[in-house]
Amino acid sequence: MAEEGPFTDISGKPISLECQNYTPFCREFTVSSPKVSLLKVMGYTCSVWLLAYAVFFLTENTTVLSSAIMVTLVGMILHIHFVKVDQETLLIIGSLGIQLSSLYASGRESTTFIEMSKIKDIVINEAIYMQSIIYYLCILIKDPSEPDGVASVVPLFQSSKPRLNCLVRVYKSCQEIIAQSR
Amino acid sequence: MKSRRRRGDKQAAASCQPDAHPPAPHSPASLLPSGTARRSSQKKHSICMVSDFFYPNMGGVESHIYQLSQCLLERGHKVVIATHAYGDRRGVRYLTNGLKVYYLPLQVMYNQSTATSCFHSLPLLRCVFVREHITVVHAHSSFSAMAHDALFHAKTMGLNTVFTDHSLFGFADLSSVLTNKLLTVTLCDTNHIVCVSYTSKENTVLRAALNPDIVSVIPNAVDPTDFTPDPGSRDDSKITIVVVSRLVYRKGIDLLGGIIPELCAKHPDLCFLIGGEGPKRIVLEEVREKYQLHDRVRLLGALDHKDVRDVLVQGHIFLNTSLTEAFCMAIVEGACCGLQVVSTRVGGIPEVLPDELVTLCEPTVSSLCAGLESVISRQRSGSVPPPAAIHHQVQNLYTWRNIAERTEKVYDQACQQPVLTLPARLQRLRSHCGAVAGSIFSFMAVINFLFLLFLQWLHPVHLMDAAIDASGPDSCWRKSFKKGKSKDPHPD
Amino acid sequence: MGADSGPGAPPAVPWRKVLYERQPYPDNYVDRRFLEELQRNIGVHQYRYWAVVREAGLAAQQVSCVAVFSHIMVLHGSRRPGTLHPALGQSWVCTFGTLTASVSTDTVYAMSSMMLLAHLVSFPYTQPAPQAVLSLPQRCLALCVLASRLPGALHTFAMLSCALLVFALWPCLLHRLRTGRVELSPGCRPGVHSWVGGLASLWPGGALLLLLALLVLTLACPMLLVHLQRHKDNIHGPVG
Repeated sequence: MAEEGPFTDISGKPISLECQNYTPFCREFTVSSPKVSLLKVMGYTCSVWLLAYAVFFLTENTTVLSSAIMVTLVGMILHIHFVKVDQETLLIIGSLGIQLSSLYASGRESTTFIEMSKIKDIVINEAIYMQSIIYYLCILIKDPSEPDGVASVVPLFQSSKPRLNCLVRVYKSCQEIIAQSR
Repeated sequence: MKSRRRRGDKQAAASCQPDAHPPAPHSPASLLPSGTARRSSQKKHSICMVSDFFYPNMGGVESHIYQLSQCLLERGHKVVIATHAYGDRRGVRYLTNGLKVYYLPLQVMYNQSTATSCFHSLPLLRCVFVREHITVVHAHSSFSAMAHDALFHAKTMGLNTVFTDHSLFGFADLSSVLTNKLLTVTLCDTNHIVCVSYTSKENTVLRAALNPDIVSVIPNAVDPTDFTPDPGSRDDSKITIVVVSRLVYRKGIDLLGGIIPELCAKHPDLCFLIGGEGPKRIVLEEVREKYQLHDRVRLLGALDHKDVRDVLVQGHIFLNTSLTEAFCMAIVEGACCGLQVVSTRVGGIPEVLPDELVTLCEPTVSSLCAGLESVISRQRSGSVPPPAAIHHQVQNLYTWRNIAERTEKVYDQACQQPVLTLPARLQRLRSHCGAVAGSIFSFMAVINFLFLLFLQWLHPVHLMDAAIDASGPDSCWRKSFKKGKSKDPHPD
Repeated sequence: MGADSGPGAPPAVPWRKVLYERQPYPDNYVDRRFLEELQRNIGVHQYRYWAVVREAGLAAQQVSCVAVFSHIMVLHGSRRPGTLHPALGQSWVCTFGTLTASVSTDTVYAMSSMMLLAHLVSFPYTQPAPQAVLSLPQRCLALCVLASRLPGALHTFAMLSCALLVFALWPCLLHRLRTGRVELSPGCRPGVHSWVGGLASLWPGGALLLLLALLVLTLACPMLLVHLQRHKDNIHGPVG
């Protein structure tokens, strides 16, 4: 089952949510942000190069030009490898736990897994982010010493930052599975 | 502008719906018949209380905001509170009955008051006002820079504003002149102002050059169930005078330091119990040292609010030596615990208790000593009414439900008044606040308006998720509680 | 009782300024007695013109003293250097010359005039006493700085003794005059002012300026003070 909704992230850019129902106890949610736009890359590159050329014009030093090329290349590689996330996936398996993975634009994938026994709940929370207040989905981790306490909070979909309607859909499905597995 | 109108429409639609969830008073302190609460006005407000002072900070303003909010929630209004972050406590928290508190990360400058630049708090406060569909902004305390800022922004955003002044101020020294100017600017286009006593009203009207008709007097209240008498816990072989206040100059601790040796010399069975902490503690310690009164003057240090009652009931006489006071909660608490009250006749204190419950003196050592002497002799002869009788007389004088009911009327009235448009506001500022300050703040108002337009472009209203109501007519908490399903999406 | 009760028929019970009673008036009711306890301009001292003029004489006197000092300085400075008197050539007088040698003359004059001005501002006019905290160090400093620009030790010594007379001993005399221990008040003030005449022989423009300053100080400033009195509006309101 795949569903596409008119979802956006908190700054208004369209994102897509994909829900895969493998079994009643196993669901996968994928939030995809738009790919790196070529226009934007070209814009940044051009502006850096123009600036470098202006400096070169004044100083007549060719190292400026070569270093500008290096800076743009290295910057782009770092950006797609560590910053730009294309997809964030939440795989919840009722009896086992939750796997979170994020796929970077370069194809690098980072994955973490949280056992179900450690998870207290999944909730929607509010936080102050930059100069606004946003909703986000998070996993509450049990405190081993006291049963009712919360040891830490793992925020979900940190890079794509979907809006509330998207979060509510994921939240409801997750709650169904958590309720069944208890 | 567009967004503002849309919000207004939504609010009107919400208030037209029949109130599906009538407020359910469940606190044991139901002093008014519950019918009174139901008979309230139909229009439900979305109120944002703004002040720098809120829990975990302790004090009169803090408890006022909390209690008033709780009673307004009970009457079916939606209330959120905005304050600055207290250390680790930042973000969004929920208190009893879905009272939502925003601890905004604003820089604290001095005495728990935030730094003011008139602009930097706009993005966050706008976010709060927009996502909570606020209709009335209620700011508290003239010491709070955040309250002034919030009023300024609320007027720029076209929201109705109410301000409560909790303190009295002088007119002559430099700091009061500056604060009064700021207050004039803040209040000249505020819809309604609330003062806690008639004296405080006169003071505020003078300081801010206001029309007295838009200033209402609504006192503070105490919860009488928290302050019940307990004659068993006091030692009747001696007479105990209780003082509970912060040990600062304004509370007249120097007077207290003069009274103690004089009375202790005359009455060997007299002892003092002093609760509270502050810079003037040293005065009392010196007196205790000099006259060797260690067994008769006990300094308890800082008291938690819940411990105040246990201290009060140990005494026979409650002494208040304040030099200035808008509305003295302490003497009401003292009387509510059944104590004989002796107080200075300053500020709004003469208005607070009827003459048979309080002995008023001039703020001098000799006058206070004379007042205390007469009460001591009455106490010895046993001609004072029993604590239970005093408690019974005091318990219904000031209740939070009555306060909330009267505050609600202020909101109704404030909402009927128009919010000034920018040109009208500039005109008001220029004509009301003097040429220099008026021009400066007109400029500020214009900049603030432009900043708001910029924010509306940068972060449009349609991209902000409306907050899920935890209180008010559309509260999801009450619904989920009704279903018996504890759905708590926002833990601390 | 509510803010919106509006002005209906006036209730029979009179309004009282108490909070413990629920009164049949709206919360924003304004009684006739509103601000009745307001007091304005308590204990304001009403000035009379000639009394102020007499008091302003003291300020004028101090200005004249500074003028005397400056005059002496100018007189000394315009003479050619004489021979060094060995008997008066105390070693500490000689140090003055080298003390500020590295500072330019213009700076010295600017500094000393600033300090003399500061001395005039901070002089304790209400209680002239030689042990004034702020103004004594200032004039001493001005003296040291100026003395270093004098041609010889004799001049320096003469200057020092003169300054001591004008700045240290003169306030002592004034103090005694005010407390009434010495009776020569009427004659001394014109005596000081008559220096203006002396100055006129040396520098007529300066004399005119000084005369104008003295007139403004003794006649115009008191008039301004008395005139501004009626605008005084001091609130002693209900502050508690």
